[in-house]
Amino acid sequence: MAASEALSARLAAQPAGPGFDAGRQAAADRLAAMGLPGRRDEYWRWTDPTPFNAETATPAAPGEAEAPLFAEVDSLKVVFVDGVFDAEASDDLAMGGVEISRLAASEPAWATGLYGALEAAGQNPVKRPFAALNTAQASDGLLIRVTAQAEKAINLVYVHKSEVSDPVLHHLIKMEEGAELTILETGPAGARFNKAMEVDVAKGARFHHIRVQGAEQDRRAVTHIFARVAAEALFKSFTLTVNGQLTRNEAYIDMVGDDAVAHIAGAALGDGKDGKFHHDDTVFVTHGALRGESRQVFKKVLKNGALGTFQGKIWVKPGAQKTDGYQISQSLLLDEDSQFLAKPELEIYADDVKCSHGSTTGAIDDTALFYLRSRGVPEEEAKGLLVLSFLADAIDEIEDEALKEEIVARLEDWLARHRS
Amino acid sequence: MTQETDIREGVDRETVETVQNMGSYKYGWETEIEMEYAPKGISEEIVRLISQKNDEPEWMLEWRLQAYARWVEMKEPEWALLDLPKIDYQDLYYYARPKSMVEKPKSLDEVDPKLLATYEKLGIPLKEQMILAGVEGAENINLEERQVAVDAVFDSVSVGTTFKEKLAEAGVIFCSISEAIKEHPELVKKYLGSVVPQTDNYFATLNSACFSDGSFVYVPPGTRCPMELSTYFRINAENTGQFERTLIVCDKGAYVSYLEGCTAPKRDTAQLHAAVVEIVILEDAEVKYSTVQNWFPGDEEGKGGIYNFVTKRADCREPRAKVMWTQVETGSAITWKYPSCILRGDDSSGEFYSIAIANNYQQADTGTKMVHLGKNTRSRIVSKGISAGQAQNTYRGLVSMHPRAKNSRNYTQCDSLLIGDKCGAHTVPYIEVKNNSSRVEHEATTSKVDDDQLFYCRARGVGEEEAVALVVNGFCRDVLQALPMEFAMEAQSLVAISLEGSVG
Amino acid sequence: MLEIKNLHVKLEDEDKVILKGMNLTVETGKVHAIMGPNGSGKSTMSYVLSGRDGYEVTDGSAKLGDTELLDLEPEERAAAGLFLAFQYPVEIPGVGNMTFLRTALNAQRKARGEEELSAGEFLKLVRAKAKTLKIDADMLKRPVNVGFSGGEKKRNEILQMAMLEPKMCILDETDSGLDVDAMRLVADGVNALRSPDRSFLVITHYQRLLDHIKPDVVHIMADGRILQTGGPELALEVEKNGYAEILAAHGLTEAK
Repeated sequence: MAASEALSARLAAQPAGPGFDAGRQAAADRLAAMGLPGRRDEYWRWTDPTPFNAETATPAAPGEAEAPLFAEVDSLKVVFVDGVFDAEASDDLAMGGVEISRLAASEPAWATGLYGALEAAGQNPVKRPFAALNTAQASDGLLIRVTAQAEKAINLVYVHKSEVSDPVLHHLIKMEEGAELTILETGPAGARFNKAMEVDVAKGARFHHIRVQGAEQDRRAVTHIFARVAAEALFKSFTLTVNGQLTRNEAYIDMVGDDAVAHIAGAALGDGKDGKFHHDDTVFVTHGALRGESRQVFKKVLKNGALGTFQGKIWVKPGAQKTDGYQISQSLLLDEDSQFLAKPELEIYADDVKCSHGSTTGAIDDTALFYLRSRGVPEEEAKGLLVLSFLADAIDEIEDEALKEEIVARLEDWLARHRS
Repeated sequence: MTQETDIREGVDRETVETVQNMGSYKYGWETEIEMEYAPKGISEEIVRLISQKNDEPEWMLEWRLQAYARWVEMKEPEWALLDLPKIDYQDLYYYARPKSMVEKPKSLDEVDPKLLATYEKLGIPLKEQMILAGVEGAENINLEERQVAVDAVFDSVSVGTTFKEKLAEAGVIFCSISEAIKEHPELVKKYLGSVVPQTDNYFATLNSACFSDGSFVYVPPGTRCPMELSTYFRINAENTGQFERTLIVCDKGAYVSYLEGCTAPKRDTAQLHAAVVEIVILEDAEVKYSTVQNWFPGDEEGKGGIYNFVTKRADCREPRAKVMWTQVETGSAITWKYPSCILRGDDSSGEFYSIAIANNYQQADTGTKMVHLGKNTRSRIVSKGISAGQAQNTYRGLVSMHPRAKNSRNYTQCDSLLIGDKCGAHTVPYIEVKNNSSRVEHEATTSKVDDDQLFYCRARGVGEEEAVALVVNGFCRDVLQALPMEFAMEAQSLVAISLEGSVG
Repeated sequence: MLEIKNLHVKLEDEDKVILKGMNLTVETGKVHAIMGPNGSGKSTMSYVLSGRDGYEVTDGSAKLGDTELLDLEPEERAAAGLFLAFQYPVEIPGVGNMTFLRTALNAQRKARGEEELSAGEFLKLVRAKAKTLKIDADMLKRPVNVGFSGGEKKRNEILQMAMLEPKMCILDETDSGLDVDAMRLVADGVNALRSPDRSFLVITHYQRLLDHIKPDVVHIMADGRILQTGGPELALEVEKNGYAEILAAHGLTEAK
């Protein structure tokens, strides 16, 4: 099948949602120009895009319902079941300081020109066909405009029920000057999930994002974050991934204003035992203004043939002086079969900068393990502590202590269930 | 005071003196000499002609033709961070030799005096009593102990090789590759293409088809080569590509240290250099390979210069084999070079130390590949990249731990220094770890020349440009220390010269 | 309390024999010191007793009370009452000192069939112990040994000892890298923990630590075994004359 036919077939199988005609058409044109990715594409060398290219989702059995996260947090809950908005289970889409509507239900004036704009900007220099596909086809999502300090967090809860669900959701968030919002996301969203989130953070605004990708073994997901961070604004994102057959999390953070701060972190735990575990973080941080501070902290714990990849770049454009860019990617391989493939890049066109990256891979430190055991901590528990120790830098990127504790609890739970 | 030690470390008196004697590219003159050329362009006929000029046996010609047939089918690679002008492969000479070399001189005494004078002027006299004496400060070295054998390659041919007899006494074979093909066919047949296969990459394949000369080294079992060996490459003729091939075989328990130097005249048009270096290292053997690459980098506007596309690879084929690559890359308009280590034998080790300096419009894309196949293998990468002017400097590397390479280690340190706000410094490492008993650590930093250090130097009366050279030499000290003494001194002065005009 | 008999140990990966028939008995409530030149096998002995990987016991036994230590996993030895104060305590970023102590204490209690301490009980206990040992509360909040000074690390070891209440404590060159004041603080901590039910084995290069922690018995160790045993005066003698005489008496030289 020719490439263009494959793309047409892919698109035909998943009709586009309503509204945003201009934005969708532009994205469709972008996608047609770049085509679907293949293993020859530099940024797909370690992850096979075939399951995402396929016309339909590979069936994936929904797992047992997970204990809800963030239940204690005062939040506005929005539930999508297999990508379909669940009005019953969701709170009213209204709270102080925030305008919320659904992509499938309305097209507010502020969103028309912005929809797809950040995704389009994030297509250079690396093509992200599934993001363009998302913009063109998304069936639903939230349109959120934040004008002040949001009353509470928005809690996106995804539920996976159908074995063949193939949701495409697109969230668009506009943070006006000085606004602040926390977005929580939890749960497996479907058998195959394509998600895009565009976040426009205006001057002095603060955006926090904490996401837990569901623990189901079979699900597949390709997700995208596109952020534009203006002067003195803050963007923070943390993702915990446990299991999942195939997860590709892309992020493109464009620091366009002076003194902007962006932190993006990820902790992934994979047990390849009950299937495969392939986890891919592909992260671009672009500095285009003065005195930007960015941090990328990505940690993976892999066992039973799990495979982790990290492709990260700090890209400092000409003139982005006094940039402080930091990136760390680390993997802890718990057994002989697991693999870590990393490409931590620096691309720097300004001289007065401080940029560094580090990447390490290895097994649990024998000396530390012995130290713990010599204090009476049993081996498995000691390993668990060392795994938490290994992940600490990533988890510390969560500012809110209560949320952090929930994440740690979820981690401990995973460790307890996945002892060798 | 810590600042003082920061600056002083790695910078010695020689550097200061060298910095004060800075000049611009000082090897840019040309030798007026009558040349004989093969017709321009590459074709099967040209491949046959080169083979015939070298008086080669049939098997060698077959090998070349095979490579040529493959090359015709191949596509020129594209790179993300290199801005490469289109090369017209039919518009250059693939073979150029001085007419006086048509009859191969029997000994060094018979070599054309013009050629001898060329190397004399380059500081590489082809005499047996001297070392690489053109290097400033070399007079301080005990000459007796520091003999270096030289193979001098001028455009497409080897002009002569010194100390051949003395080396032969130790059983070491050191000669031009064209000579080795005739004199030691069994060794060449066995090892040529065994590390860099004919079809390895576009430029290696081209080289396999049309290499004209180069050096050959064989160190027999248990032999410590009695002196350092070196090859000095000079491109002189215009519109000529240099395609040399080096093959080094270090047999069980042997040791050799090999040095390579390169220069070319200043010309407005770019010239192609596509070399292949293959090193085979057997059980318990060790090879040190040091390069000071100072091809003409092009002028301040980016005109001319050498396009340097080199494939260098060492195969630690048996247990406990060791290789160490050290390179100082200051020249060439474009450098594309990744001296690599295949760590096949258990407990083998590879090291890579590199300084790459890019100024004006130079583009350097260099690094290494460490492929860990055997158990308990070790590798270490130390790369120092310096960018100035409008230059782009990229470290590109691969560290690969195969499933079988248990208990292996890699440590990588990549530091970049930027001088001025129009240049770029990039780091593109690939790390592939496929077993958990191995440990891989990669660190990279990018920063500018430290203002405090510069100010401190200047407060002591050192001019700005010299101060930069001092600080940069300090930044490079880990690599400079890995070089043989003569090269270290030459390298320090090169650092200073390469950065000329980079400040203010 | 501790009884080592004819202990032979070699490195697992190399043909290097470190302990060559070591015999040692430490009685309940006593403080023994082991001194000896570098490479005599002192640290190896402490690692072998606490169960570190990389060593192979080729002969002999080591009993804590009636329990054969060499059959047990490191954590089981700890639960049985053995404690090794490390020469180089390990840094564990991201794990709070309190979490670490509580995990260790409760794991040991659980292994011994005792009830685990609640968060409140634990907190009360750790605060009390820290106060006795003059340990700053701030040290409890930080990750295990991360960013601790040499003295703080060693005092943290003593705090762990106080919390875990072992029967048999081995101090592996606890004085190394400490200045006089820090050493005194550590020694005060150890002395505070001395009791009729608890034994100590103090491994040291220098006599100076023994000025602060007064031993009942002093052993001289070299070449993988105990060469000589005596009272506190033996340490003073070594301090004055070095090891040469003792070594010579056993046909050994110092630089071997």
